[in-house]
Amino acid sequence: MQEDLMDIICCPLDKHDLELDVEEREDGEIVAGTLTCTECGETYPIEDGIPNLLPPDMREDAPA
Amino acid sequence: MTDAEEPADAEATDRPSLAEQRGVDAVYGASEDSHLLAEAAVEGATAGERAIDVGTGSGYVASALAEAGVEVVGTDLNPAACQQARDAGIPVARANLLDPFLADSFDLVTFNPPYLPSTPDTEWGDWMQTALSGGEDGRAAVDPFLADVGRVLEDGGRALLLVSSLTGIEAVQEYATAQGLESSIVAEESFPFERLVVLRCVPR
Repeated sequence: MQEDLMDIICCPLDKHDLELDVEEREDGEIVAGTLTCTECGETYPIEDGIPNLLPPDMREDAPA
Repeated sequence: MTDAEEPADAEATDRPSLAEQRGVDAVYGASEDSHLLAEAAVEGATAGERAIDVGTGSGYVASALAEAGVEVVGTDLNPAACQQARDAGIPVARANLLDPFLADSFDLVTFNPPYLPSTPDTEWGDWMQTALSGGEDGRAAVDPFLADVGRVLEDGGRALLLVSSLTGIEAVQEYATAQGLESSIVAEESFPFERLVVLRCVPR
């Protein structure tokens, strides 16, 4: 994901801001890292360049 | 999605499975509904606007907007769809509808939702079903979308929602009204088993 996505995303649970923690960057893009809610502390992974902003109970790979 | 052997109503008896017509795969590919929505979205969009394509699938509608100079992001529940849209050059987030997006973020929201009514015994439990099936009334994704979309729209923003006659266009418009949205039909196309419209929804 590009860092400017931070301007429009928030915690899906309480809509508070997220804090970005970059683990790996490639050509300016964030490939791996975590997003942490500044309010509730829930963390959301960034894997293969894609932030997973599903609430924890929907995060399983199988469809609901 | 209605099985031919378990028709939801009499007129459904001869209806070919839409999944068959459209080809079953792990990610819903661009189809008639995608084209109709993409056309309507590009027509009303201005370069430099910020847009989000909810349930972006292959990224077809988002790509059309990007080509028109719109700054578009895509979301999908399906990780394979997210990957496919990302490969198409669309910034993506895996998300449920508009849940992880801040208020007043977008000029344009597009959504080609899963809208086919289904019954519990015709649900087959894979990603293609998630892409097609809208629950018993076809509105399992449409209603929560309409309830939340006003929040993420900037002043002057609008949402374009694809709706099928199989879901009930009037019912969707009534629900939109109840959510404080004014809706109008801006594009439509008829097919043997359904009529597709693009609803333009703006906060009142």
